[in-house]
Amino acid sequence: MRGRFGLGAALAVSACALVVAACGGSSSSSSSSGGGGGSSSSSGGVTVTGAKVIDPSSMNSPPKGTIHYCQGKDTTGAGKAVVSEFNQKYAAQGYKVVLTEFPASADQQRAQFIQRQQAKSNDCDVFSSDVIWTAEFASQKWLYDMTPYVNQSRTKYIPAPLETVHYAGKYWGVPETSDAAFLFYRTDKGTAPPATWQAVYQQAAKQGGIVYQGAPYEGLTCDFLELGFAAGGQVLDSSGKKSAFNSPANVKALQLMVDGIKNGAAPKAVTTYMEPETDQAWTSGKYGYMRNWTYAYAADNTSTSKVKGKYKVAPLPAFEGGGKAGILGGHNSVISTYTKNPGLALKFSDFYASPDFQKTLLLKFSQAAVIPDTYSASDVKKAIPYAPELLQALRQAKARPVSPVYPQISQAIYKNVNDALAGRVSPADAIKKASDQINSALSTF
Amino acid sequence: MEAASVQQAGATQPRRRSKGIPERRLAIMMVAPSMILIAIVAAYPIIYAVWLSLHEYSVRVAGLSRWAGFRNYSNALSDPAWWAAFEHTLIFTVVSVALELVIGLGMALAMHEAFKGQGLLRTVVLVPWAVLTVVTAIMWRTMFVSPYGFVNTVLGTQTVWLGSEPQALIIIILADVWKTAPFMALLILAGLQVIPGEIYEAAKVDGATTWQRFARITLPLLMPAILVALIFRTLDALRIFDLPYVLTQGQNGTSTLSTIAQEAFATNRIYGLGAAMAVLTFIIVMIVSFSYIRFVGGNIRGLADE
Repeated sequence: MRGRFGLGAALAVSACALVVAACGGSSSSSSSSGGGGGSSSSSGGVTVTGAKVIDPSSMNSPPKGTIHYCQGKDTTGAGKAVVSEFNQKYAAQGYKVVLTEFPASADQQRAQFIQRQQAKSNDCDVFSSDVIWTAEFASQKWLYDMTPYVNQSRTKYIPAPLETVHYAGKYWGVPETSDAAFLFYRTDKGTAPPATWQAVYQQAAKQGGIVYQGAPYEGLTCDFLELGFAAGGQVLDSSGKKSAFNSPANVKALQLMVDGIKNGAAPKAVTTYMEPETDQAWTSGKYGYMRNWTYAYAADNTSTSKVKGKYKVAPLPAFEGGGKAGILGGHNSVISTYTKNPGLALKFSDFYASPDFQKTLLLKFSQAAVIPDTYSASDVKKAIPYAPELLQALRQAKARPVSPVYPQISQAIYKNVNDALAGRVSPADAIKKASDQINSALSTF
Repeated sequence: MEAASVQQAGATQPRRRSKGIPERRLAIMMVAPSMILIAIVAAYPIIYAVWLSLHEYSVRVAGLSRWAGFRNYSNALSDPAWWAAFEHTLIFTVVSVALELVIGLGMALAMHEAFKGQGLLRTVVLVPWAVLTVVTAIMWRTMFVSPYGFVNTVLGTQTVWLGSEPQALIIIILADVWKTAPFMALLILAGLQVIPGEIYEAAKVDGATTWQRFARITLPLLMPAILVALIFRTLDALRIFDLPYVLTQGQNGTSTLSTIAQEAFATNRIYGLGAAMAVLTFIIVMIVSFSYIRFVGGNIRGLADE
C-alpha cells in the first residue's frame, strides 16, 4: 500500500515538470500531421515553394471590412498613430484597422504570433515582425509572398532594410522601421570620433573606457557582428547552407574585443551588460565611449544623467584593413496567410511605408524611417539633430543572417563570444566552436 | 476501526441500495469527475510530451514531421551541454535544499517560541517567500550588477559576480535560499505545532536535557513535516528556471535542465528534442521523489516505532 502511494505521489508531483513544455507544443500538432519520409528536395535549405502570392492591385479596392494589426507593446505610440491615421483617411470607404498589442519582450511577441499561426488563426492579419524572424515565418508558409508588390517600388527604400525581408529569392514583407547602432562619444573629451575600431579601443583605454552589450543574448550577436562584418567576416556562405564563420577576419574582430577587456579599454563587467546596464554605466559619466542603438540618444540625455548635453553620435567606425559595417534592427510588416482580406492588409502595409507616415515616424516618434528622402527634409533635420548620421549608419549596416534556424545561429555566436570575452576560451577556439555549432544548426531537420 | 464501521454500515442496508444504482457503479461515478480532471491536467500533457519526444518536427519545412524513436533522447544524452546542465542542476539542488533545511528549521524553532512580537516575526520572515521569483531575480541582479551594485560598493570590490564561475551559480543558490527558506520554515512550523506539549512535560519530569528533548522528541516527530518540505523543495529545485534565466541567461556555469529544455523547445522550436529533455527531467524528478518516499519514508516509520 505504501509503495503504491509512493509511486502515485511521485508521478503526480513530477508531472509538473512536463506541463510547461507540453502546453507550448499543443498547437504544433495541427501543422505536423504528415509523418514519415522527409527526403523532399525542399528540405535542403533556401527554397520556399507553394506560398500564397500577393496581388499588388488588390489593395486598390479591397472588400470593406476590419483587419487586425499586431505588434509589440506600443511604447512609442507609433502603433496607435499609424492605426488612427489610416482609419481617419479610409473610414469613409469602410476600412478599419484595429491595433492588438503583444508583450514588450521580443521573445514573447514571436511566441504569440507563432501560436496564432500554428492554430491557423486570423487574429493578426498584419504583424510587425522583428527583422530576424522573416525567414523562419516564411519557411513555415505563414506569410504572403510580397515580391510583386515590393518589385513595384524597390528603389524607394534604403537597400539594407529591404534585405531583411529578402529570403529564398523572394520578398516576404514591407519594411516599417529600421534601426542601427551608433558610436556615442563625449564632446568634452574629444572633438571627433576615431575613424577605426582599433583607434576607438586605443582612445577608450585613455578616456575611461567603452561600454557595450556583452551579455549572452541577441544584443551581443549584433555587437560582435558589427566588428566581424567590418573586418570582412561572414556568418553563412553564399549558398546559405554552410557556415563561413570560422575566418581570420572574425577571429581578428573578436581578438580586438577580448584584448580591449584585458587591457582595460572595456570594463570586464560588459560581459553581463544588456541595454539598461549599458545606459546606467554611460550616464554615470565614467566612460568615454558607448555602443548603443539610436534610442539611447534621447534616453540618456535626462536631467539625472551626468553626461547630459556632453555627447554626440557617429556611425560605427571602420575596421582597419576592412570596411565599415553595422547591424540592422527594426521591424517589417508581414501579412499572414490566414487573413481573409489580403488586399486591405496590403493597403495598410503600404500606408505604413508611405513617405508621409515615414516622416511622421521619424519626426514624432524618433523611429528610423526606411525611405531615404525622409532624412533630408528641413524640419526633420531641425528636430532630429542626428538625422544625417542615422541615414549613413543605415546605409552601411547589414542584415543579420536570414535563416529559419536563426535563433540557433545567434546562440552559437553570443554564447561563444561571451565565453571568449570572459576569458574562458581563446578567440580562435570560440570562433571555431561557434562555426561548428552553426553548421549543426543548419543541419537541423 | 473506522474501516470496520463503514463496512458494517454498508452491510446493514444492502436492500435499499440494490433498488437504485449498484454500489460499485455509484462509486465509479462519484470518482469519475476527479479522474477525468487528473487525466486532463496530468495524464494528457505527460503522454503528449512523450509522444512529441519520439518525433522530429521540421524547423525549416512547414508541416513536415517524422518518427524519431529514441533519437531525440540519444541526441540529448550525448550532448555535453545537457550533462553540464545536469551537473549545475544537481549542485544547485543539493546545496540550496540543504541550506534551506538548516535555516528553515532554525527559523521555525525561533517562530515556535512564545514571546512578544511573535506575530510580527512570523510576518517578516515570510516576506521573501511572497516576492515573485522573477522579481527576486531582478532584485539580486541589481544588487550584484558590476560595478554599480551595492554589494561591490559595500565590499569595495570590482568583482563581476554574474559573469564569473562559480560566483554566478553561488549567487543563484543564495537568491533561492533567501527566497525559499521561509517556505521551509512555514512547513516545519506547522509540524512543530502538532507535537503535543505533554510529551515534553513528561520528558522534563524524566530529567531529559534540552538537547535530548530536541533530538529525541522534536526531530523524530518533525520528520514527516521535514520530509514533505524536502520533497517539495527538491522537486522545485530540480526544475529551477527563472533565477538563472533572469540573472545569467544560463551562461557562466548556470544552465539548468529547464533552461536548456526551454531553449530547445520555445526559442529554437525543436519540439522533439525539447520534449525529450522535459521527459528526462520528469524521469529524474520521479526517481528522486520516489526514492525519498521509499527510503526516507521508511526511516520515519523506524523512528516512530522506537
